[in-house]
Amino acid sequence: MSENILEVTDLSVEFTTYGGTVKAVRDVSFNVERGKTLAIVGESGCGKSVTVQSIMGLTPTPPGKITSGSAKLNGREILGLPTREANQFRGVEIGMIFQDPMTSLNPTMTIGDQIAETLMVHRGKSRRDAFNQAVELLARTHIPEATKRAKQYPFEFSGGMLQRAMIAQSLACGPAILIADEPTTALDVTIQAQILEIMLELQRTENMSIILITHDLAVVARIADNVAVMYAGEIIESGSVDDIFYQSAHPYTVGLRSAMPSNTGDRDKQLLPIAGSPPDLFSPPKGCGYYARCPYAMEACHESAPDPYTLTEGHIARCWLHHDDAPPTDVIHRVTR
Amino acid sequence: MIVYTLKRLLAGVITVWFIATATFIAMHQVPGDPLLNDKAVSAEIRKNLERRYGLDKPITHQYLIFLRNMLPPNPDFGISFTQQNRRVNDIIKDHFPVSAILGLLAIFFSAAGGVLFGALTAIYRNRLPDIVIMFLVILGISVPSFVFAALGQLLLVNVNSLMGYSLIPVAGWGSFTHMLMPSLVLGLGTMALLTRLMRTSMLDVVNEDYIKTARAKGLSPQRIFFKHQLRNAILPVITVLGPQIAVITTGGFIVELVFAIPGLGRYFVQAVQQLDYTVIMGTTVFYGAFLVFMVIVVDILYGFIDPRVRVQ
Ligand SMILES: Nc1ncnc2c1ncn2[C@@H]1O[C@H](COP(=O)(O)OP(=O)(O)OP(=O)(O)O)[C@@H](O)[C@H]1O
Ligand code: SF4
Ligand SMILES: [Mg+2]
Repeated sequence: MSENILEVTDLSVEFTTYGGTVKAVRDVSFNVERGKTLAIVGESGCGKSVTVQSIMGLTPTPPGKITSGSAKLNGREILGLPTREANQFRGVEIGMIFQDPMTSLNPTMTIGDQIAETLMVHRGKSRRDAFNQAVELLARTHIPEATKRAKQYPFEFSGGMLQRAMIAQSLACGPAILIADEPTTALDVTIQAQILEIMLELQRTENMSIILITHDLAVVARIADNVAVMYAGEIIESGSVDDIFYQSAHPYTVGLRSAMPSNTGDRDKQLLPIAGSPPDLFSPPKGCGYYARCPYAMEACHESAPDPYTLTEGHIARCWLHHDDAPPTDVIHRVTR
Repeated sequence: MIVYTLKRLLAGVITVWFIATATFIAMHQVPGDPLLNDKAVSAEIRKNLERRYGLDKPITHQYLIFLRNMLPPNPDFGISFTQQNRRVNDIIKDHFPVSAILGLLAIFFSAAGGVLFGALTAIYRNRLPDIVIMFLVILGISVPSFVFAALGQLLLVNVNSLMGYSLIPVAGWGSFTHMLMPSLVLGLGTMALLTRLMRTSMLDVVNEDYIKTARAKGLSPQRIFFKHQLRNAILPVITVLGPQIAVITTGGFIVELVFAIPGLGRYFVQAVQQLDYTVIMGTTVFYGAFLVFMVIVVDILYGFIDPRVRVQ
């Protein structure tokens, strides 16, 4: 078994707004293994970004508040640290890149200076050394003419090139984990593939773990080792990529898969969107969050929230269908008893 | 950058030419004959002047003479009609530096104050310092500068009588202490405007993605503030600085009168009252050219701070 570099347990995050309290993330637990990729998937607004940003200490507080949980990086608690202490792991042990590379870099600072800044702050390097290393980092993300590019400003870069620069920047201190929050959503398809390729290559050479947030199940299938499926602030199923794709144990995961286009099999196969919308996070239902949209919902689902069931080692699903008293079904993979 | 600068300069020259033409036309619409003043001039002098300015020739001819006299490198604005033996060039040379120092100090106060107070209000958003400063900003924007000038003098009078000696002179010109109050008064309106602009700009920048990136990089809040927030937030402030120089210059006319400062603004106002044609035309064109030049300088300065302008 490989070791866990990051262990998140029972993380809950709320936002206080004029309309009430949004329970954006509820009891989220997951592990990230060294050198492996964890994909977090789920529809818009389900709490993916809030989850990782809370771990990084980037959620604005107030209105945000981490109400419970822990996140252990190499066994050390990093949740809710004061800024000064958080800055010892941010950008050092965990690097992060964002959805929109066009707006994620400072428009009035050269790319090279922005990367060098991380090295100057965390590694105490001189400006010149740091800049030279920034050029090397840019070259490692396959940016052509890195020496010249390092002296340019973000507006002189294309979106794909900027995301490479973001990756180079997050790699500066050789982090153990790279968090990528929808790193390719804002890019066109061919560029997406290149960015993912670079991430995978660097993961191999640096033995780095990746937390990848994405909507794209095809991407998940290609690069993830483990998957956490989020719905309405909760992880409703998690497991290895094979567990999730071939032994889906939650109706929502099954629904996601049928909504995903595939290039194998029947061309005329219809894509099935999941009807309805997620529950109101101001007052999450007391039962299962998927109740209103679930085709297999039962009485019990409305009454109380399902327990997490462990199907096989590391494969967990929150659904009453795994309960001993639930009627037999072949839509999802059941706990083998 | 060089092409950009040249283009701006060319546009500037054309603007100045427009200003000169407009001044010329306006002066010709003013009723009265410059040579038929209470102090009538002798027929001989009249002849000389008519020859010099082509006053007996058609207006187009006069216009050409006017333009030719103004051409760089040695523009000649002529001789004052009311002050004996004083060339307009000398009036400008003697008194413009005073106005320029006053104006520059005012710009400096307003820019420094605007950036500082704007940043403070953003940091203390919706808390006491923010509320107090924003209240003062509304005062600063809505109260005209002659009121501040009077209040400023009153304050100095009180301070001086409290001290028992003249700590800061109430009016006049000469030393640095003379300059403090008038330039502060002159810059107050602009400072208020810049403060408000800076506040909005700072609050916009805080929510930018690159600030989140900077935090994810593990930079200290101080570093993020100075290296990433401030520089980007100042950009919109600099764009309005150019036009504000015009506001400050014209505001200078009043402040110079109230504080008895021997600046060019005062002579300009005087010249208008006394219908001193050459002085009016000369100073107007000169001020016009100066303002156009300052706006260009600010634009170039902007280019240095914002790489997006520089490289294009
Ligand atoms: N600053 C905030 N104030 C109030 N509510 C917030 C704030 N940030 C996030 N939320 C709420 O938290 C919930 C989860 O948001 P989050 O950004 O994590 O979604 P997401 O899964 O990343 O979605 P997407 O795929 O669109 O990026 C949303 O319902 C959102 O309304
Ligand atoms: S618990 Fe019930 S409602 Fe929720 S997913 Fe399972 S079957 Fe559907
Ligand atoms: Mg998101």
